[in-house]
Amino acid sequence: MADCPVCGAEVALSEDVIEGELIVCNDCGTELEVTQVSPPVLAEAPQEEEDWGE
Amino acid sequence: MRIGFLHSVLRQDEKMLVNEFRRRHGIELVMIDDRELTFTIGENGFKLDVLIERCINHSRALHALTLFELAGVRCVNTASVATVCGDKLLTTVALQRCRVPQPPVRVAFTEESGLRAIEEMGYPVVLKPAVGSWGRLLSKVNDRDAAESILEHKTTLGSYHHSIFYIQKYVEKKGRDIRSFVVGDRCIAAIYRTSPHWITNTARGGEATNCVVTDELADLSVRAARAVGGGIVAIDVFETAGGLVANEVNYTMEFKNSVGTTNVDIPKHIVDHVIAVGRGEVDA
Repeated sequence: MADCPVCGAEVALSEDVIEGELIVCNDCGTELEVTQVSPPVLAEAPQEEEDWGE
Repeated sequence: MRIGFLHSVLRQDEKMLVNEFRRRHGIELVMIDDRELTFTIGENGFKLDVLIERCINHSRALHALTLFELAGVRCVNTASVATVCGDKLLTTVALQRCRVPQPPVRVAFTEESGLRAIEEMGYPVVLKPAVGSWGRLLSKVNDRDAAESILEHKTTLGSYHHSIFYIQKYVEKKGRDIRSFVVGDRCIAAIYRTSPHWITNTARGGEATNCVVTDELADLSVRAARAVGGGIVAIDVFETAGGLVANEVNYTMEFKNSVGTTNVDIPKHIVDHVIAVGRGEVDA
């Protein structure tokens, strides 16, 4: 578990979580990035940039 | 085998690839975050057998691939493929060189010549930024009033990139197009992307359903992939009265919505290809 940096809710992480993974806070809907796995730390995910895509 | 995994944020697509790599024996996966990466020209000695590029920023992907290749690392896809696929005009040129069917395209560099090109082509047309993805800043132009307005806005408000007017004849696609997936020399899967909106990208809400890979679709897809330099690419295809035409080619393809839809293990095919490139069995 880790705290959502936006709303403070507890966010459940999967067992195979990896650094850099994007997840969503189920309480506030914010997209978050796992910036550290052990202990788990979350940050707001980067905002979409002009050259994002495929 | 040491495999570099170039990334920024890790979406579901990248997570599926990481998990697939980690299931393989004899693979050391080296995660390389483009946000932390620095290159010293002429000095980097990356001890990698192959690198897979999964950046979310096109500009970072393109330049990082160029620098990794400079350092002697085999990359999937290559910097050349990223260059061509990252620019719709260059993609159109590559497809034309290989006689791959595509919608009619005109290019102009000023408002006046752009308007003339649009009028000669006939409405509707689609104005696309040469560099861009996920359906961003696409404009369907239905009449002269809209054409004049959009050309002026792009010239006045956009960066110089937006004054390279890439004008594509609008294809009436009856609410859907096809996204096909090519890995190496094979079209491994395809989906229909259906939407009531004329932009059918799944990033814009298009719904994915399975599409049978016919001989015609496989042929067009593989020819389009080869035209841009091969590797692992996704082709956007329109169905027209005259047959299938290739609309765009994507070099960091997203597939998370397509694995369950097609029942094809796309990450497995990608990982197989990257390992084969690392072993020198196939070209990138």
